[in-house]
Amino acid sequence: MRLILADDTVLLREGMVRLMEEEGHEVIASVGDGQTLIAAVTRFADAGEPPDVVVVDVRMPPTHTDEGLRAALTIRERWPDIGVLVLSQYVEKAYATELITSGQEGFGYLLKDRVMRVEEFVEALDRIGAGGVAFDPDVVRQLLARTTHTDPLSKLTPREREVLALMAEGHTNQGIAGKLFISQSAVEKNVNALLDKLGIAPEPGYSRRSLAIATYLTN
Amino acid sequence: MRNHDGLLRRSATTLTGVLLGSLLAWLEFAFLLVGSLGLIPIVAAPRSRERVVRFAHRCARQLAVLEQRRLHRFHRVDDLGPYSDRQAFQYVSRRWPIGALGGLVLLVLTFGLLVAASMISAWIAGGTWSLIEEDGGQVTTATVVVIALPGLLLLYLNVMGIVGVADLDAAIARRYLAPSAEDVLARRVSELTLSRAEVVQVVNDERRRIERDLHDGVQQRLVALGLLLSRARRAKDPVLAADLVRQAHEASERAVADLRDVAWRVYPTVLDHLGLRDVIADVAERSSIPVNLRYDLTERPPTSVETVAYFVIAEAVTNAAKHSGAHTIEIEVGRSSPDGDRILVVVTDDGRGGADPGGRGLGGLAGRVAAVDGTFQVQSPPGGPTVVRVELPCV
Repeated sequence: MRLILADDTVLLREGMVRLMEEEGHEVIASVGDGQTLIAAVTRFADAGEPPDVVVVDVRMPPTHTDEGLRAALTIRERWPDIGVLVLSQYVEKAYATELITSGQEGFGYLLKDRVMRVEEFVEALDRIGAGGVAFDPDVVRQLLARTTHTDPLSKLTPREREVLALMAEGHTNQGIAGKLFISQSAVEKNVNALLDKLGIAPEPGYSRRSLAIATYLTN
Repeated sequence: MRNHDGLLRRSATTLTGVLLGSLLAWLEFAFLLVGSLGLIPIVAAPRSRERVVRFAHRCARQLAVLEQRRLHRFHRVDDLGPYSDRQAFQYVSRRWPIGALGGLVLLVLTFGLLVAASMISAWIAGGTWSLIEEDGGQVTTATVVVIALPGLLLLYLNVMGIVGVADLDAAIARRYLAPSAEDVLARRVSELTLSRAEVVQVVNDERRRIERDLHDGVQQRLVALGLLLSRARRAKDPVLAADLVRQAHEASERAVADLRDVAWRVYPTVLDHLGLRDVIADVAERSSIPVNLRYDLTERPPTSVETVAYFVIAEAVTNAAKHSGAHTIEIEVGRSSPDGDRILVVVTDDGRGGADPGGRGLGGLAGRVAAVDGTFQVQSPPGGPTVVRVELPCV
């Protein structure tokens, strides 16, 4: 994939660039703040070669608050086809909710520390690149803990809860099967059962499905 | 000899003060006369009363400020103000007779001195004494001896009169322009409220800075370190893997060093067991610009004062290193007066000046200093030098 990285810590940016190259991706630009990021995306998009995914840190200069997030929203608005992965320092529930319920595909919201778990990070990037979604397990855990639909959730078996969490993160059935060491058909059974219990209509496509669940959890 | 000098100088300043005071009396008297003309529009248009009175009071303030400067300069009266325009007017309208009295006393003195001078010159020159009487007789030694005693007595009375006028002047100024005990209390309460708000602000700023230090420094380093290790684990090539592990090891050392720095900035624990002198010496050593340190405190100040002094110095040195382009920095720590209980910290750099006292760093320092009841001044004209001067009470 062709990527643009935006992070103000040079050290980390360089590390990520190297990692992406080792994974066989191409980093076409790496920048240190939101404005430069938008400029870079504009430049490539205008040249007819937009990046597949943009990875952006929430906290960047000048104010170190939410520059990256605003840049991410701008990119989503102007170039809906470009995947965006937002890296955040904390789980900001308000952000997460806003982002998840916007019902977008090709979008991810991860805790920054996930970068250290290269497998998860790379997998999330791949999902986003393929038009899927990737929500941080911590975000999902918080959504699960705080959701107002606790009643239907309590009817789920422990296994179904695990599957639900992984679905909400944006994993495919195959990914879930791999993570839980069970067969894909067992995953499908669990998925159907839990969608039934929660009263969520089965959605076509994995990202639509996880969005439906995330939306359910945030409302 | 020095005492003698001091006495002479003090006499001269007092004399000058009284003289200026008598001149100002004229001005005040004139002002009151003109001010009374202001009664005419009031009689004509009663609604203008408020405005005319306010204007008169505002003008009176200008005069009071002049008086205040004179009293401060020549009579060492420093405890005046703040006062309202109304108080200034009351003061000005009651003060002028004292000024006039001062003028009178000075006139008498002048006359006495003239008489004495002419007499003595006549006595020395052996001439006749023609100042008082046209056909004055010879001034003999006997005449001088006889006249000297009452003359000296009169001179003494006159000097007492001048001193008295000066005292009276100070007293009336204090009566009308010095804040009452209630005012002083009220002012103290508002100062404390302000400094409390500043303390809260300072604490918040500090916390924000610590958060940023941890997040933008240490945490990023750790994430980068994790990334290196992750890559090392995934590397197929053992040479590359070994290299990545080596890099990771270096990164971990840097992260630890970062963490140590952050902790040091949060609170230099060495301050507790080493004391201010050694910690400042350390700051001076770490500085990228050469530092001259003069430390004149014999015993250790209280911890709270030490901490503030340390932060003032550390911040000032950091600022100078970052922005000033200075060649040397001078740090002085000592008592503000030989027997005083206030500690004086002065940090001077010969850089380009133009430091902003309201900026983040310096503003925070001002708050810290206010919190322990100290005074904080920054002088930083464009072109330098920058002087940060802090006085801290040691109680």
